[in-house]
Amino acid sequence: MLKIPTRTETIYKFKAKGGKIVAVAPYHYPKALFRAFNILPVEVWGPPKLNTLESKAHIQTYVCSVVHSILAFYLQGNLEVCDFILIPHTCDSLQGLGSIFLDFIKPKQKVLTFYTPRERRRIDISFLSKEIEKLYNQLCEFTGEKPDFEELHRHIDIEEKANKMLKKLLNERQYLDIDDFNFYSILRTKEFLPAEEFIEIANDVYLMYKTDKPISKTPVIVSGLLPEPMEIFTIINEKNGFVAGDDLAITGRRLYPPSEGSNPFVRLAKSIIFSPPEPSRGDSVEARLKNLLEIAKRTNSKGVIFYIVTFCEQEYFYISHLRKGLRENGIKSILIDTDINQELSQQAITRLEVFLETLQ
Amino acid sequence: MVKAMGIDVGSTTVKIAVINENKDILFKHIENTKPKIKEQVNTLIENVKAKFNNENIPIVSTGYGRKLVEEAKQQMTEITCHAKGIYHTLNHGGTLVDIGGQDSKVIVIDKYGRVLDFTMNDKCSAGTGRFLEHTAARMEIPVEKIGEIALNAKKELKISSTCTVFAESEIISLLAYGEEVDAILKGLHRGLVTRIVGMINSVAFTPPLMLSGGVAKNNAIRKMLEEETGYEIVMPPHPQIIGAYGAAIFALEG
Repeated sequence: MLKIPTRTETIYKFKAKGGKIVAVAPYHYPKALFRAFNILPVEVWGPPKLNTLESKAHIQTYVCSVVHSILAFYLQGNLEVCDFILIPHTCDSLQGLGSIFLDFIKPKQKVLTFYTPRERRRIDISFLSKEIEKLYNQLCEFTGEKPDFEELHRHIDIEEKANKMLKKLLNERQYLDIDDFNFYSILRTKEFLPAEEFIEIANDVYLMYKTDKPISKTPVIVSGLLPEPMEIFTIINEKNGFVAGDDLAITGRRLYPPSEGSNPFVRLAKSIIFSPPEPSRGDSVEARLKNLLEIAKRTNSKGVIFYIVTFCEQEYFYISHLRKGLRENGIKSILIDTDINQELSQQAITRLEVFLETLQ
Repeated sequence: MVKAMGIDVGSTTVKIAVINENKDILFKHIENTKPKIKEQVNTLIENVKAKFNNENIPIVSTGYGRKLVEEAKQQMTEITCHAKGIYHTLNHGGTLVDIGGQDSKVIVIDKYGRVLDFTMNDKCSAGTGRFLEHTAARMEIPVEKIGEIALNAKKELKISSTCTVFAESEIISLLAYGEEVDAILKGLHRGLVTRIVGMINSVAFTPPLMLSGGVAKNNAIRKMLEEETGYEIVMPPHPQIIGAYGAAIFALEG
């Protein structure tokens, strides 16, 4: 098994070399832009299994556990090491979190916000490129640096290579003889590793685990924000299944296509705008269903597990429509509600196991 | 003679079924689940084996404690085992309602005995045997008798709380108003059945409607389910061991 660096190790190593850290809330943002300022984005998806008592003073209990955890994690002093905090407007709850940080918490770090449009029109590319340029100007002001277009393009190219590597691993998952827990632990290093280090690790994984024969287990797809609790992988593997494809915000929904053009802000905008369909971008049910059916066809999966963080309204909005559409196309599905701070309940484990039994 | 054993470790009771190669039940046993499940099932299995001259009997375990049965060659979920068990008992598919101690399940079974669709109540004890058990205990009535008392009640009170704990508060309040116990019990049964009907409506319901699990012995639940759904309920001869029987068939089939 590969030795993979932890978030903490990566942060201190990067800072030791004179770099800065930006803590990033889920989930679309122009990673290359920050790297051009020698700032490493480290995504904060919780972390899971956290006591979120502190966040309850600021956020309603019906807001999802990811948002609660991010705030509690900050209030417990765990983001002290960060120089900036970026909160994209992924959903209303995260926008609310941005306001709480800016208006009430007022941390010592600069808090940046980032708005991603809900459509994929030409005007949306224009809007997003201006939003990215605004972020660029803010970073120029805060850091005193002003990377030129050449530097920006260089970092975009590196990030695109990392994205390409992620896509390769996901697309060839069936030929990688590694269990899901370890596979996703490696993929998730992309949340905090510099792109160049991720490319190296991903390449090693590919070479180490690539086989000629596809895995002879039952392929399934996982959809949702993130696979937490990660016990899901153990349960799937124990039941002779494996995650052959994903529609997860941490991975499959961020397979950003490569972009071209002379303006780096437009390149970054296009890359986000043309990413796979997903709920935070307001895509249609039809587009999402088509995407899921394509993944199912490519991976020969007959089942989709919707692994949804409780209270994530934008995910729930689609579920019944998607499940109906999948059913009509002969694909079974199941909805498992999760709280990233709790263990999976026995009932949830049983439901997952039954689902896999029905696919075999 | 080829034999196989199924053990269903539920939250309330442990059920065992031993079958022969014709899938006939040779032995069955039900007892309350103890806190030390692993020790309990080990002793039970030893005792059963002793009855069969210590033959090497393949075991499949199911139920909430299925992973604690060390001797089992395989663990299967209770939903798959119930589907298998009821199909081989009644020789047809349909929709099975299993009301257990910890959870309730509605399982749609196709004409080949496969699980087509299913739903389970999640996390909360509302709609489970525990709901009745808890409230029966609050009124100091043995759980075996509450069905008959509810059936004979002339009046039915509405218990609006879904939550077991809130329902208990509501019962205390009704008792304080001087309401009769039988009317409260009838309302409680209706509440549970309404939740089960909600689960039935959420799956691709296919008749006939079948009932298993410990609560199947409660006549009031059976009658109310028939009233609420408009379908006559088909009952297996041993509703409580359907899961263990299904597990035994899996053990037999290897």
